[in-house]
Amino acid sequence: MTIKHHPSDETLMRMAAGALGAGPELVVSVHLEGCAVCRNRMAHFEAVGGAILDGMPSAPLAADLFGRTMERLEAVQPLPTRERMVKRPELGLELPRAMQNCEVGPWKWLGPGFQWSKIKIVGSPDAKVMLIKGKAGLHLPAHGHTGLEFMQILSGSLADERGQYLPGDLDEAGSDVDHRPVVGQDSDCICLAALEGDTRLHGFLGRLLRPFVGF
Amino acid sequence: MDAASSYFGTRNARQVRPAARLVVLNEARQKEVLPSPEELISLVDAVGREQDRNAFARLFGYFAPRVKSFLMRSGLADSAAEEVTQEVMIAVWRKASYFDPGKAGVSTWVFTIARNQRIDRLRRTRSRTADNLLDPSDEPDMPLSGEDITITAEREEGVRKALATLPSDQATIVRLSFFAEKPHAEIARELGIPLGTVKSRVRLALSRLRTLLDSDI
Repeated sequence: MTIKHHPSDETLMRMAAGALGAGPELVVSVHLEGCAVCRNRMAHFEAVGGAILDGMPSAPLAADLFGRTMERLEAVQPLPTRERMVKRPELGLELPRAMQNCEVGPWKWLGPGFQWSKIKIVGSPDAKVMLIKGKAGLHLPAHGHTGLEFMQILSGSLADERGQYLPGDLDEAGSDVDHRPVVGQDSDCICLAALEGDTRLHGFLGRLLRPFVGF
Repeated sequence: MDAASSYFGTRNARQVRPAARLVVLNEARQKEVLPSPEELISLVDAVGREQDRNAFARLFGYFAPRVKSFLMRSGLADSAAEEVTQEVMIAVWRKASYFDPGKAGVSTWVFTIARNQRIDRLRRTRSRTADNLLDPSDEPDMPLSGEDITITAEREEGVRKALATLPSDQATIVRLSFFAEKPHAEIARELGIPLGTVKSRVRLALSRLRTLLDSDI
């Protein structure tokens, strides 16, 4: 499978820097899981971080910091094993590994052939991130955004004025994009979507989602 | 030497330190023998395999002052930066056996640990504690190949060289982008330049990095 749509250099650099919000970071993590090209790009941006760290001047440390750290190492417990924290509703798809610590809500009705599921990221309750499911052939309402919208296709396909998006593709749509996505005819489409920061959706979709999702 | 190279720790830049950098370093640090990338790898390896405390002490001596300085530059106060630095070094100790020189250089690995600790602190959560739990990327998935290690070392080297050739205004923007969750608007205020200029410098820097690294991206 060839992935055609990738996160921008700027997005990857911000993520490498730890400056992307929790929602977009989750969507991009899911993309990276399936995209070796972007994992390699990401490794380059993280190496920029390594170079910056190497170039930092030395800050003076408390004289006993090393000693205190060694004391804490003596007391350190073995690594806890990761437990799955939440029960999963039956969503009809296998969740990417990057989502394994998220709370995932059940599918909820949003409109004819149109459902959503709330995703909660531990520690970031305000992240605007959700799964969206549209039945084959569904026309999603036209909308624009005040900031960036990230959308990773998990199954099925989606198309808009700018192109077609298949599983593994990530669409990054900025405030310059007004689009009217349509679900492919062959099957239902499930995607993971996040809005950056205080981005809002314009148009009918925004009015539809706002009472439910707070978008 | 290009002005930009003083922003980034190119290994060569360290051997021939720019005078401006020396001012901020104390006497002891000037005389410090800085470990090479290969030495750093063998130090982490010794910590991972044998819990070698001397190796850890050397890693601590090299990284802790830099991590603290990075965190303070990212907006943490002195005491908070020191607290997080301690967490970072504890994570280095605990995760050393998972370090994979086929994925990243040691400095890059420590950077990602520091970055994650800072995110955790900013998001005010104890529950994520990314570096105390194993995350999936820690799982050793394939046996180490010498080829991966070479590719990684070349990437680290290539990135440093590319950064050193960026014009200094672009290098500044890239560097500021790595300090804290700083939106471009804030960077613009800090530098006293218009937001559009920040955005275009980011774009220029990224496309230049991309060109320089294009052989392997």
